[in-house]
Parts: sequence; C-alpha cells; structure tokens
Amino acid sequence: MNDCPNAEIRDQLPDLIHERLEVSMRAAVLAHVADCVDCREELELLRGVRAVLVTQAPRIDITHVVAALPKAPAQRRRRQMDWRIAAAVTFLAVGGSSVALLNRTTGVTVGNGVPPVAPVIGQATPLASSAANAVPANVAPANDSQARPAQVVASANEQAAADVSPGGRFADLNEGQLKALLGEIDKLQAVPVTEPEPVSIRVDAKSPAAPDAGGGGAAHDR
Amino acid sequence: MTDPARGSGGSDDRQDLELIARWKAGDERAATELVERHAAALARFAVSSGERNEVDELVQDTFVRAFNSLDGFRGDSSFRTWLFTIERRLLLDRRRSEKRRRDKTEIQEDDAATEYDALDSMVADETQRKLKHAVERLSPTQREVFSLRVAEGLSYKEIAEAVGTTEGAARVHYHNAMRAVKEFLDE
Repeated sequence: MNDCPNAEIRDQLPDLIHERLEVSMRAAVLAHVADCVDCREELELLRGVRAVLVTQAPRIDITHVVAALPKAPAQRRRRQMDWRIAAAVTFLAVGGSSVALLNRTTGVTVGNGVPPVAPVIGQATPLASSAANAVPANVAPANDSQARPAQVVASANEQAAADVSPGGRFADLNEGQLKALLGEIDKLQAVPVTEPEPVSIRVDAKSPAAPDAGGGGAAHDR
Repeated sequence: MTDPARGSGGSDDRQDLELIARWKAGDERAATELVERHAAALARFAVSSGERNEVDELVQDTFVRAFNSLDGFRGDSSFRTWLFTIERRLLLDRRRSEKRRRDKTEIQEDDAATEYDALDSMVADETQRKLKHAVERLSPTQREVFSLRVAEGLSYKEIAEAVGTTEGAARVHYHNAMRAVKEFLDE
C-alpha cells in the first residue's frame, strides 16, 4: 500500500469520512480520490479502522452516567433557597408559638409569674405602684401618682401596652379609676418640649462694621 | 454505535454550548443530551488508548468531573475535545495509581491479550481483525492521535489540545501511525 504524494489531500481524508469539509474542499478531495488509487485505498483503510474502533468500544449506560452527575447550578440555588425558606418558616413558627405561649402565660400572671392579685397600697417599687393604678382594685390611684410621677408614667405606658391585648382590664375599671388614669396620661403629655427654637442668620454685606457683629461683619437675627 | 454529536464541527459546538447553558439554567435534560452526544466517543477513546477495564466507570468519572467544573469551560476548544482532555488525565491518574499499587505490567499485558482474544471472536471479518491488531501495535501516543483523527474526526489542533502536544507533532504522529498500519497490513 503506497502513500499518495499529495500530502494535503491525504490530510483531508479523515475529515472527508466525518463530513467535516467545506463544500469546495470536499469537491476537490473527491475529485482527487476519483483519480488516485493510493488515496482510494487509504480511504478504505480509514473506513475500516474507524469501524473497528467503533465496534470494540463498549456500550455506555447513559442513565447510569446521568444519575451520577451533579445537579444543575440553578437547581442547587433553588434547593438552597428552599432550605432558607424552610428555615425561615420554622423560625417564625417556633417564634410565633413561643410568643403565643408567653402571651397566654402573661394573660394569667403578672410580671415574674406572680398571679394578678390586688397590690398592697403604698408598695415600694414604682412598677408595683403603676400596677396598682391599672389593676382594678378598690384603691384610690392618687396615692401612688403623687409619689414619683415620672416613674409612674413610664410604668403606666407599659401597663397600657399590656392592656391593649384582648384580655385587657380597662373594662373592669370604674369611672373614678378611669379618670385617675387619664390624669396620669395628661401628666405624660405635659412634658416640656426640649427642641430648640429655630434660628435664622442673615449676613449683611454692605455694613461690615455693624454694631452687634463682634468684628465678623455679620448680623445675627433671630 | 451511534454518534449523535458529529455533523459539521461548528454547529455541534454551538449545540453543545446551548446545552451547557440550558443545564446551567436548571434544565436537567440538557445533561442527558450532552451525555448521549459524547459518551460513545469517550468510550472509544478509552478503548483505543488501551483501557480495557471499567470503561463505563471511566466515562462516568469524566462526565462527573466535567460537569463539576463546567464553570471553567470557556469554550476555547470544543466540548468534546475538553472531555477527551479530562478523560485522558483520569486515565493517566488511574494508570499511575495502578502502577504504584502493584507493579505487574507483564501480567496486565497478558490479561489484555486474553481480552483481545475474547474480542476477536466478536470480530468475524479477517480484515477487521488485522486492522485491529495493526492499531494495537502502535505506540500509545500514536494510537491516541490516530484514534482521535480517524474515529472521532478531530482536527490536529483539537488533537493537540486533547493529548497535550503541538499541532505539528500531532500531524507527525498521525502520519507515522498511518505508515505503521499500512506496513503491518502489507506484511
């Protein structure tokens, strides 16, 4: 079996088998092969070798290979997102349950698990005194409110927040107690405004030696 | 064995890139299509490189490694060439580890000869049998280059990328292999 001297054409023979030649090149190679015995023999040899190589390769189980592949990146991201959502839902569920349980507990007890009994008049702590203001008991609230007004107001706020709940105790107050409570709220609103008054500054360029300028040449005007 | 990925090179490459993009977007069927397109070629390359044992496992490992590092595939070469590169690297690693584990080269050659005999019985045609032996007599590099050129239709540039050599060296290996095959058949 001889080699054709046209190396360029011989180089193209495998591409001819695999249909990878452009139209013009394919036509040129086919024309050469038609007239060249060596190239025809080599072409047949190449076809035979290709057939052998294809035949001896084992068949691959595609399903088996695909099953071993990693998940697509988008799928992985989706799975991570699913995990995050699940974690968030779990967190909310556990947190919500805890809050609900806590609310139910605080609806029965006050403070550190102490049952809501009527407080003793003139109790030392301000929290207890505010509780005395809010808890429906036949006690005159004015006694405590006179003692330390600021603390009473703060604790009244806390108590008011607690009373917004469905199990609030406003409905149990009589008219006198409500008035006393409103009086405490009025005191809360009576806190003086601490914001400074607005100040406006005007610069007078024509009078550098203004009498009140203090050497800067600017007149301050409130 | 069918080869669904081979038509004209450019459109095949584009189709591979589209499938890769689809897989990255979450389409698992694209992965199946990619495996279907290239699994047979990888098996052929493994066998023509002298691998006889667990070819399916080697092909699977190649795909797993390729899909795990698809972000690193920039499309400079064709997807199939890139797969050949990965498979060849795995093949070399496997051989190195086997050689380290036990140095029994001669026994392996005997085993290989036995398996060739078993395969021979499947190849009825005398000409085919002679062709097969002619290819087997080539040096490992010649066999790789010859197989990629003849069985897969890769260009010299693609072969050079897959085998880790230059385009000119790949051409020389191919022509030397062709001459050796012809000489064997003429004996």
